[in-house]
Amino acid sequence: MLSRVADSLYWMSRYMERTDGILRMLKINYASSQDDIQEFSWKPVLRIFSYLEEEQATSIAHQTRTVLQYMVTSKENTNSVLNIVTRARENARSVQDHITKELWQCLNDFYHTIRDEQLVRGLQKDDPVSILDILIRQGLLYYGITDITMARGEGYAFINIGKFLERGVQSADILDIKFSDLQYDLTHTDTTYWKYLLLSISGYELYLKTYRSGFDARNVVEQIVLNEDFPRSVIYSINQLQRYFERLKSDRNKDAYHKIDFMIGRIRSRVKYSTVETILRQGLHSYLNGVKEELYEVGNALNQHYFAYT
Amino acid sequence: MQTNELLNSYDVGAQTWDEMYAHQAVRTQYQGVVDFLQQMSIEELNKKEELAKRLFMSQGITFTVYSSGEGIEKIFPFDIIPRIITATEWNYIEAGIRQRLKALNLFLKDVYNNQFILKDGIVPVEMVYSCPHFLREMHGFPIPYDIYVHIAGIDLIRDQDGTFYILEDNLRTPSGVSYMLENREITKRIFPDLIPKNNVRTVTEYPNILHRNLVSLSPRQTANPTIVLLTPGIYNSAYFEHTTLARLMGVELVEGRDLVVDNHRVYMKTTAGLQQVDVIYRRVDDGFLDPLVFQPDSMLGVSGIMSAYRKGNVAIDNAVGNGVADDKAIYAFVPAMIRYYLNEEPILKNVPTYQLGNPEEREYVFANMNRMVVKKTNESGGYGMLMGHSAEEEEIMRYKTEILKDPRQYIAQPTINLSSAPCYMNGRLKPRRVDLRPYALCGPDGIQIVPGGLTRVALREGSLVVNSSQGGGSKDTWVLAG
Repeated sequence: MLSRVADSLYWMSRYMERTDGILRMLKINYASSQDDIQEFSWKPVLRIFSYLEEEQATSIAHQTRTVLQYMVTSKENTNSVLNIVTRARENARSVQDHITKELWQCLNDFYHTIRDEQLVRGLQKDDPVSILDILIRQGLLYYGITDITMARGEGYAFINIGKFLERGVQSADILDIKFSDLQYDLTHTDTTYWKYLLLSISGYELYLKTYRSGFDARNVVEQIVLNEDFPRSVIYSINQLQRYFERLKSDRNKDAYHKIDFMIGRIRSRVKYSTVETILRQGLHSYLNGVKEELYEVGNALNQHYFAYT
Repeated sequence: MQTNELLNSYDVGAQTWDEMYAHQAVRTQYQGVVDFLQQMSIEELNKKEELAKRLFMSQGITFTVYSSGEGIEKIFPFDIIPRIITATEWNYIEAGIRQRLKALNLFLKDVYNNQFILKDGIVPVEMVYSCPHFLREMHGFPIPYDIYVHIAGIDLIRDQDGTFYILEDNLRTPSGVSYMLENREITKRIFPDLIPKNNVRTVTEYPNILHRNLVSLSPRQTANPTIVLLTPGIYNSAYFEHTTLARLMGVELVEGRDLVVDNHRVYMKTTAGLQQVDVIYRRVDDGFLDPLVFQPDSMLGVSGIMSAYRKGNVAIDNAVGNGVADDKAIYAFVPAMIRYYLNEEPILKNVPTYQLGNPEEREYVFANMNRMVVKKTNESGGYGMLMGHSAEEEEIMRYKTEILKDPRQYIAQPTINLSSAPCYMNGRLKPRRVDLRPYALCGPDGIQIVPGGLTRVALREGSLVVNSSQGGGSKDTWVLAG
């Protein structure tokens, strides 16, 4: 496979994963903002998914519609859903001969949907949840079509590598920023806070089934970092990353393979053999940051050894 | 019945050949379609038109116009009424194109090798050597199977008596074939059952034939040669076509930066290292192909690719340097080439062409400017063209001054009153002018022409210019099976 094609598939997938993350986060936070607007702030969301300066984020932290517009349809925000979907589509467009026609059409439709003026207006005036749902569903179509139509070859491996690398970073980020919002105070017992955090990454029901004793910050950390069955946990993402990377093993490009295989193996062991206690002993922030840094390094190595073409 | 409503404002201009109407009656080949349309209400037809637009949009059959830093997606205007060609007409066209291509191929081989045709004075030497597309780099260059033109998109028009004329030979990187394929797919969607009922010949073989030809050009004797389609990239207006063809043939779509030349071999950069490339179907113009040989600042090409080509380590399709044969001034000599190389009379006629480099012809043209179309010999896409019958005096004067500066770069042809075909416009059928571009493929096994083509249509009333850059659209083109 062409290096350029691998690169585009990888980024198409990362952007789509990010899109999904942003949209879910917005939907749940919107619900939360309707619950208790005095307490509620959009600042954590803006910190996770945008590059806004501290003051700018603070100034709009309580303006729900402004934040929604900024995060979804703003042209200025490089990380808005509009811009990310456009980039995903640009990547898909340049590799149309490597993705199925259905997949291309799905991304093309997504692009036209998000540029629809009615939708933009709806986000300003109507029920934002309906609008976000339309977009989330378009993202789900993308996942479904990828799964059902894409051949299980190298391209599929790169798509999944991008997806799970992005997801791992995202989950670590979300957890870190949500906790920093509380100054890493693990005794915080506000049930709604944890409930909305878990809802935003579709982990609420699993939490209720796993832990019977109500909300405890330690359990939240455990589920989001260490639960191998939770599809948005850090360890699940890394396991999948490893699984799809192993498919790239071949007689050619051996050195690069071993190097990256080693990096992924190391980070996987590090997370797998952690417990909540060891994480907290190291400090949650330093631990999550370390995981993120290592995932970024994997991304850089992929770039250097698999995607370099210019 | 809304027969009359749909047809009652169909006014064929005087002195015009209409593809559908003759002597106040519908031609037999159009009867099936007209009957079908008459069963539909205007609302239904409007819906069909809407559906066609939506399908083009959602399939991304678009080109992007960049303005103020933002890309806007546009669709190439599509008219829902098919253009119909009878079996007899098609047989004639096919024979004519076959003959013409044979001669053009021989000309290219000759002009880049022994130059018999120049020595015998059939084509003037200065005509060839003053053509910017005549590439000295190609002299004595070995070309697989002596095939220079692998893909040709020869433009045909019809005069007021229905005679077909060749308007242009596009032998470099002719485009538009994806519209031949996609327009057919759209017709299948908007008019279910209409195509089988009318006995229309299929065009879907095109990518298969092209792929077979590309495989046969591979210099390496291998069962699975690496074939690539070289595109200028996603900002090219024909990018959609490049992706479609790559997908339909299952070949790799590459950009210049994906390729590298090492020891006179071309490789593509893959995730598993370098992989040798055998055949390149390039959609990049000659001038941009190799910065070491042609334009040194080209970002679209591959350094060293010409050396690999010369060594015979890679096949390039179409061959480099074909521009000398589809130059608008050389065009006038194609009938002479056919007589010279094949000892046959040309089947398809040329439009009479005046060489403005020749003082007498120039004088004649200058005296009759309002009946002439003046064209720059090296431009295409409807650029650098003066339509004498509709031009302002001022524009004519400007052209005259320009022509006198470098007369070789211009030709003139009498204005041809292009034939018209029905188009659907706001609930009515209206005649609009059309041309026809069939696509011919030459391989070691001969020339094949897919029964169909691209019909371009001048959507503006009275306009004779069909180019998409000048407000033209396209139609599905049917060739009937006997």
